[in-house]
Amino acid sequence: MDRLPAAFDQSFSGASEDFPALLRRKGLFQRAPDLNASDGGRSFVPTESTTILAFKFSGGVLVAGDRRATAGTTVVYDRADKVLEIDRHSIMAIAGVPATAWEMARVLEHSFQYFRRTQLQEMSVDGKVRALSKLLRDNFGFVMQGVGVVVPIFATYDSSAKPAARLYFYDAMGAQFEVTDYAATGSGSPAVRGILYYENNWGDKPLQKLNEDEAITVALRALDTAAEGDTSTGGVDRGGKIFPLIKTVSREGITTLPEEKIAQVFKRSVA
Amino acid sequence: MIEEPYRWVEAIANRREYIETQLAAGSPIVALGYGGGILFLTVGRARQKLFEIYDRIAMGAIGHPGDIERLRMIAIELASTEGFTRSAADVSLRRLAHYSLSPVLKSAFEQVYGAPFLARLLFAEVGSQPEEDSFLRVDYDGAIATNGAAVSQTRQHFAVLSATKPSAELMESFLKKEHSASATFPDTIKAAIDAWSVGHMALGEDGAKELPNSAAISKHRQEQLAASGIEAAVLERNSGTAIRYRALSDEEVRSSIGG
Repeated sequence: MDRLPAAFDQSFSGASEDFPALLRRKGLFQRAPDLNASDGGRSFVPTESTTILAFKFSGGVLVAGDRRATAGTTVVYDRADKVLEIDRHSIMAIAGVPATAWEMARVLEHSFQYFRRTQLQEMSVDGKVRALSKLLRDNFGFVMQGVGVVVPIFATYDSSAKPAARLYFYDAMGAQFEVTDYAATGSGSPAVRGILYYENNWGDKPLQKLNEDEAITVALRALDTAAEGDTSTGGVDRGGKIFPLIKTVSREGITTLPEEKIAQVFKRSVA
Repeated sequence: MIEEPYRWVEAIANRREYIETQLAAGSPIVALGYGGGILFLTVGRARQKLFEIYDRIAMGAIGHPGDIERLRMIAIELASTEGFTRSAADVSLRRLAHYSLSPVLKSAFEQVYGAPFLARLLFAEVGSQPEEDSFLRVDYDGAIATNGAAVSQTRQHFAVLSATKPSAELMESFLKKEHSASATFPDTIKAAIDAWSVGHMALGEDGAKELPNSAAISKHRQEQLAASGIEAAVLERNSGTAIRYRALSDEEVRSSIGG
């Protein structure tokens, strides 16, 4: 629903309108062009040149991403943040076109706040998951044009629900898949999925039993492995001392792990 | 009839009287700046009167719930779109009130064939230091009162909202004596509840005309708190997150002043 009936436009705008709809009403947010029949035959090549991963561990959910941003075969930036905080208990990690992904994260962040402020209650986890799904669906016209594909992971912690830690990955059309243990997307993800599957089933302990240091170790090893075979994944830049970005979300909220801590674990159990 | 200037003035005067009567029952609201942020407080039994507008801005309101809701939505929409298109740092209470709310209220008030807003709003925006806090009251006719926009004026670290002018004035003179920006949180809550009591005692035809003594205030406070709930919220100065608004529960407020 894009517009409310004109009679209600002024007085009830907040009651049922979500934030993206408000932005569109004010002309501040572009909906992707609709697909027409002639686009039908075009093949769509997913370009998600990065690696992000997330898994549940004993302290909540850990989300990690490498720092490399590429344009074709060129590395354009080596300190990109692909793990973004959306609210106190939600993290979105992005693979795909940064411009679209960061815009999406901004819209999402404001959507949750806007909902809480106007409706005077927190948006439910399902509502949040669905909000991202809708943004992806609305963006699909751009994806088909070959600009703007985004494939995110969404992790959140809701202490009133069971299980409290929730983890989802999405496809480019907006379908959401809830996972029990781990998720990975981006060009380096096949290697990462292999590692996480292996660790979860035959490792020292299942992922959900790992403490924080062990979880960081697994995340760093997985990203380093992905970087080994995928040019678009930065992994760990040993020379430049650039480490992946790792955040955890738990009952207390989101923690960005300090670089020194990651460096320490890296030195001890990865390098 | 209102084509004649005199009639228009008369219509406006009638309308003002009508609105004042409609607002007369509203429970006062107090906003106090202290070291840790800004405290909003009111006492009541009915609906919610304190609201989060944006990261650093909160609002308290008395009036008709429907009108409050419309104004609240306007404020949230404006702040949210500004914060989204530019940045949270560009959302300012001063601009929100002066450029958007005040003109809307004024034109609704003066267009005598349409309905005015039956609402009086109190806003505060928390800064990084108490000197940067801003307090602002927007009335149903679009009039704005601030805590010290004029250079010569001494800054006040509080603002009040009440149904009647005498009540608001008594609350202000009470707070001038009893509150300073360096107060602790429990002292700030006490001052807020007492200021609310002063304002509440001054409401109505037979309300207090002068500042009551402290025994009378404390008696009134105890009577009221036994029957009603405390609604309070803070805008935290240094919370480590972008969102500074936090609603306080009735128990939280009562326990911080020792029951």
